Amino acid sequence: MASTAATRTAAGAAKVVKPIFSRDLDEAKRRVRELYRAWYREVPNTVAMFQLDITTRQGRDKVREMFDKNKHITDPRVIDMLVIKGKMELQETIHVWKQKTHIMRYFYESEEPRPTDFLSKFYRGHDQ
Amino acid sequence: MAARVLQQCVRSFARPSLRLCSSNLALRVTAVQAVAVHRPLSFAADSRRTRWLVQSRIPSVGVLCRQYGDLPPLTLETIKERVMYVLKLYDKINPEKLQTSSHFMKDLGLDSLDQVEIIMAMEDEFGFEIPDAEAEKLMTPEEIVQYIADKKDVYE
Repeated sequence: MASTAATRTAAGAAKVVKPIFSRDLDEAKRRVRELYRAWYREVPNTVAMFQLDITTRQGRDKVREMFDKNKHITDPRVIDMLVIKGKMELQETIHVWKQKTHIMRYFYESEEPRPTDFLSKFYRGHDQ
Repeated sequence: MAARVLQQCVRSFARPSLRLCSSNLALRVTAVQAVAVHRPLSFAADSRRTRWLVQSRIPSVGVLCRQYGDLPPLTLETIKERVMYVLKLYDKINPEKLQTSSHFMKDLGLDSLDQVEIIMAMEDEFGFEIPDAEAEKLMTPEEIVQYIADKKDVYE
């Protein structure tokens, strides 16, 4: 829409945009912390309910890893959207709408990381 | 003399409280001259009355009131010990470098999510919820002790 197009084009200027949930970065971080708490408390119940073969500590480390992947983001709207997606995952996990395979999908890499140094890129076929 | 006054009080309380106490206790109320036969259950809950009873040799007074179970009262030292114990158990903290005034982020190099985990461990230890708006300000063990003492009405 017009407002989102305006925000995308004017990257440098500080525009007043319509927030999703939180108005500033602090509120967004508070939501992130609440979500982390909920996931942290949920992991032992998940391991018991789905009869997973991982320990609680491994589950909690995986939760921390997923949160750390997005640590660098500063836009409150993006953070809010990620929190919403995290809450959806949490709801599906709590109500056992997921199955064991969906939870274990977090635990293996589904895509190869892109090569960064020259030699790996050369082997792939890219010279730059 | 105080013992005799209390004996009279005990006899006046004996009638209405017969319904409250079991028959075992009612027998004790009437036998005031009995030698101190201690029932450890009834005396453990109220140390003040126990001390008084040992002096005056009337064991039956303590069993007239209801006995409730509760944890030992919190003091600032016990809160501090428990907080430091929980923090030493946390594997991301080096126990040698831990002081009461060490800041989680600046001195110990922890993350904001680590701080959330620490506050959750404190919630589990002390048994009451700490809302996130106040939890994000607790950055040293000293502040945590102060906050818990505020919430639990522990004076010094």
